[in-house]
Amino acid sequence: MAETRQRERREPAPEPFLNDRRLKYIGLTASVVFTLVVVGFLGLILYTQVNVDRFVNIIHPQFINAFFVVLQIVVISSVLSVIGGVLVGLGRISETLPTRGIAKGYIEFFRGTPLLFQLIVIYSGIPAFWPPGQFPIENFSIPAAIIGLTLNHSAYIGEAIRGGVEAVPDGQMEAARSLGMSYAQAMQEVVLPQAWRNALAAIGNDQVILVKDTSLLSVLAVPEIISTVQNINSATFDIWTPILWAAILYLAITIPLGKFVRYLEARADPAGGRDR
Amino acid sequence: MGRDSGLNRRSYLTALGAGSSAALAGCTGFLGGGSSEDTVTIGSDIPYRPFEYETEDGDLVGFDVDIAQAVFEEQMELTPEFTDTSFDTIISSLNNGNFRVIMSAMTINDTRAERVDFSDPYFTAYQTIVVLNDSDITAKEDLRGRTVGVQKGTTGAGAADALKEEFDGELTIRRYDQIPAAFDALINNQVVAVINDNTVNAEFVEQNGNVRFVEGEGAAAEEGENAPPYLTLTVEEYGIAFRQDDDEFRQQVNDALAAIREDGTYDEIYSEYFSG
Repeated sequence: MAETRQRERREPAPEPFLNDRRLKYIGLTASVVFTLVVVGFLGLILYTQVNVDRFVNIIHPQFINAFFVVLQIVVISSVLSVIGGVLVGLGRISETLPTRGIAKGYIEFFRGTPLLFQLIVIYSGIPAFWPPGQFPIENFSIPAAIIGLTLNHSAYIGEAIRGGVEAVPDGQMEAARSLGMSYAQAMQEVVLPQAWRNALAAIGNDQVILVKDTSLLSVLAVPEIISTVQNINSATFDIWTPILWAAILYLAITIPLGKFVRYLEARADPAGGRDR
Repeated sequence: MGRDSGLNRRSYLTALGAGSSAALAGCTGFLGGGSSEDTVTIGSDIPYRPFEYETEDGDLVGFDVDIAQAVFEEQMELTPEFTDTSFDTIISSLNNGNFRVIMSAMTINDTRAERVDFSDPYFTAYQTIVVLNDSDITAKEDLRGRTVGVQKGTTGAGAADALKEEFDGELTIRRYDQIPAAFDALINNQVVAVINDNTVNAEFVEQNGNVRFVEGEGAAAEEGENAPPYLTLTVEEYGIAFRQDDDEFRQQVNDALAAIREDGTYDEIYSEYFSG
């Protein structure tokens, strides 16, 4: 009682400057200003920097070819890195020490060194074991790119899987085991489906990064999107026209990919995505 | 080197790199003051043997470096200071004020001359082809339908493009960021030939017992010059590049170049790096 009375006697606290209404309008103003600046900048680029004839001219064959090279590399590396990542993730949570240690070492190495470094090791380092001119794979740049992206992203996906499995309550595994399931059965039937759902957002995020990582492949002379920008820039001194295509083509992969991942997340959600 | 400038059409950013203030020393000063009056900052894409490269001890050496020493230090009493920069944006960097001049084995050509002024030529180079010793390629025509390696944005890449046109598109060109990667690709069986400046190729041939020049008569012989024994695709002259508002300084450098040719310094430096 005494407490209540004391509280009533207090002056109402002065309203802080940043109340909810102000916050709303500050946010709105900031986003509108930002949009106007972006639109203005885009307009400036389109109006002063982009050569329309060239824009139409360079899409085929240069950018279309680059786009399909990137798409091909992305699709293959994506599938392989998810498979590899699940294996690495399972190794990472293994109860057998050597398996866990090796998976951990793998992750430490591939997350701890830059992708560019790994690509150079694979593309320039591995063939050096053969005598000059004897390396058997002639068009090694794309295989090297796929190997590098797969090894690198398997490490990230492995970590995502580990996080997903650890987020599944221990009781799930214990309950499954007490029903007489083996570890493998319990993993497969009970834990992994839930872990997959937990890990999906992180995996999807990683796959978007994988798409963007293909820009590093210009170092392996893969005719990808950034190389195409550089070649056109080098030949024409025009930077914005090819840059515009690069932006469009990257987003043409990453935006649908993001949507696809959200679809998978919704599908994996027992609520059928209704609560989103 | 015979690199074909990749340049932004506009010097969009006025950002000055770390080396820029020194580059501006003694310049008209409209971009800001220089820290030291008697330093001349030189933009160069390092490494590019034997024009500019670091020894195992990390010392910067090379033909350009020694010529810069002779011209700027001995003749003009300035301290030359090299700044490493990427070749495909080197002209934009010069015009942005990141350095005062370019000495990067740069071939004088019309496209470049629209954006920079060149000194008198201080070197003559040829585009040449190197292949593995046991290669079946003995003439230019043998490259039809094969894969060649070049450095992005170089005149070697330009020569390869011209060759591709001559072959009605029957030539695959792999574009590497730097010339060592193209040489690695040759050794690693990724390309059958590298098209590049004769001097750089000669050094590679000398250092590596597994490669040779493609021989025959080419552009140099057609022009009636004192033609080298190997096949030459083009003849090019190297110059020091200046900003277009730097005429007085350019004239002084031309005088200094003439002086070192006169007093034998040039020949001394030449014979140190090139045997032929």
